[in-house]
Amino acid sequence: MIYLDYAATAPVLPEVARAMNEAYGRYFANASALHTPGHLAMNEIERTRGLLAELINCEPEEIIFTSGASESNNAVMHTFEGCEIETSPYEHHSIIEVAEIYRGNKRPKLYSYMLANNELGEILELPCVGEDEYLHSDLTQVLGKMPIDVKALGLDYATLSAHKIGGPVGVGVLYVRKGVPFRPLIVGGNQEKRRRGGTYNTAGIIGFGAALKYMKDKKTWEIYDTYVRNLRDVLARRILAEIPGSSLNTDIVLGKSLPNILNVSFRAAEGESIQLYLDAEGIIVSTGSACASGDAKPSHVLMAKTGDAEVAHSSIRFSFGIDNTIEDVERVMEVLPGIVKRLQEISTIS
Amino acid sequence: MVQEGQDWIYSETVKDHFLNPRNFLMGDEANFEYDAMGLVGNPICGDQMKVYIKVRDGKIVDVKWKTYGCASAIASTSALSEIAKGKTLDEALEIKAEDIDDYLGKLPKHKFHCSVLGHDALKDAIEKYREKDGEK
Repeated sequence: MIYLDYAATAPVLPEVARAMNEAYGRYFANASALHTPGHLAMNEIERTRGLLAELINCEPEEIIFTSGASESNNAVMHTFEGCEIETSPYEHHSIIEVAEIYRGNKRPKLYSYMLANNELGEILELPCVGEDEYLHSDLTQVLGKMPIDVKALGLDYATLSAHKIGGPVGVGVLYVRKGVPFRPLIVGGNQEKRRRGGTYNTAGIIGFGAALKYMKDKKTWEIYDTYVRNLRDVLARRILAEIPGSSLNTDIVLGKSLPNILNVSFRAAEGESIQLYLDAEGIIVSTGSACASGDAKPSHVLMAKTGDAEVAHSSIRFSFGIDNTIEDVERVMEVLPGIVKRLQEISTIS
Repeated sequence: MVQEGQDWIYSETVKDHFLNPRNFLMGDEANFEYDAMGLVGNPICGDQMKVYIKVRDGKIVDVKWKTYGCASAIASTSALSEIAKGKTLDEALEIKAEDIDDYLGKLPKHKFHCSVLGHDALKDAIEKYREKDGEK
C-alpha cells in the first residue's frame, strides 16, 4: 500500500505505540489523585506539556489538553458566544459550523484564521488584530511540518492535534495565552486548572509526548521542507506534464503552501472515482468531491479557491509523510494517467 | 505498511461494474450510431449521465452510456445498460431506480438517492425517440 493521506491522519509511530503500551501498564491511575501512581501519571502528562511548550514557545500552563482539534476549536468559539467572530473561508467545519452557532455582534471580536489549510495545504496570512480583538489559529496541519512559535505569530489561541504527527487520535491541545478570556466547554472537574473537566487521557497524552519527541529529535520540519517538498513538487510537475486536463489547486510556490500537500483537479474525471481506482491499485488518497463524504455539496475550501463546482468535484488530495519515497511517486505516475484517461473517455464532459 | 487488499463500502457487484463497466461509449459519441440520446444530471452537482439507444421494431437492441460521476454513478449506469438491452420501449420505461439497486446487490443508502439516475436518462432517450418517430 502507498499511503498518501497523511493530512487525514498519520499512522501511529512505533515509538508512540510502545510508549502507550507501557503507559497502560504503568500509568493507569487517575492522574488527578494524590497517591503515588496518580502522581507518577501526572508527572508524565506534565512531561508532554513541557515538551510541547518548548516546541511552540509558550508557558506550560498556557496549554490545555483536550480530546482533539475539534474540541479545541469548539472551546474557543464557545468562549466568544454572542461576540463578533470572523473566520477565513478555508476553515475546518469545526470552526465554520460552530461560529454559526455562537456568532453575535458584541465585543470583543474573535478572528479565527488557520495558518495552513488541510485540503489545499495553502498558507494563509493571519490578520493583524487591534484593541479588544483576539486571534485564534488552527495549527492542526502545521505541527511537525513547519516550526511553530505562537508568540512570534501573535496568537491568543491555537489548536493542535496529536494524530496528524503519528500520535494517537483523541488527544488535542488548546493554547490559551495568559490573560486572555477563556470559558470552559467541559465543566465539572478541577482538571487543567478548571479549564477542561474530565479524567486525564494519560496514555494518549504520553503517546502524544512520544510523537513530539520523535518530531523534535528528527527535526521533521526540516525533512518536510526539503525531502518531502521535493516528492510533492516532482508529483506536481509530472501530473501537469503527463496528464491532459490536470490543474493544480495548491500553489506550490515556496512559502505559499505546506510542503506535503498537493491538491489537483482532473477535467471530466470525478474525484471519488479516481480515488477508488487508485485504491484498487493500492494507492490511498482523498478527494474534495461531495460524493466521497455523502454530502450534497463539494468542499467549501475548493469552492472558495476555484469558484467552480466541477473542478471541486474532480479534485484529489495527495498528502505526504516523511516515510514516502520517490518510488511511491513513480508508482502513482504509472497508474494515474491511465485512470484519468479512462474516466475522461467515459465522461459526459468532453 | 500492511497490505489489506480492498474493503469498500460497495458490494462486489458494484465494484465489478465500476472497475469493469459494460457497454460504455468510449470517446466521441459520433463513434456510435444511435437513434436517441437521453440526459440527466449536471456536472456541477457531481453526476451527469447520457444514455444512447438503438431501436428496432420497438425494441432496444443496443444501449451505450457515458457518465461523469462517482463509483456508484458509473456502476449503476453500467447495470442499467445490461437491464435495458433487449427490452421493448414500454418495458424499458418501467425500469426503476430500485431495479438497478437490486441488480447491483444494493448500494449504500446515501449513495442510492444521489447517484442512481440512469433510468431517468433512459426515459428521456425513449421520449425523444418517440417524439422523433412521431414526426416521421
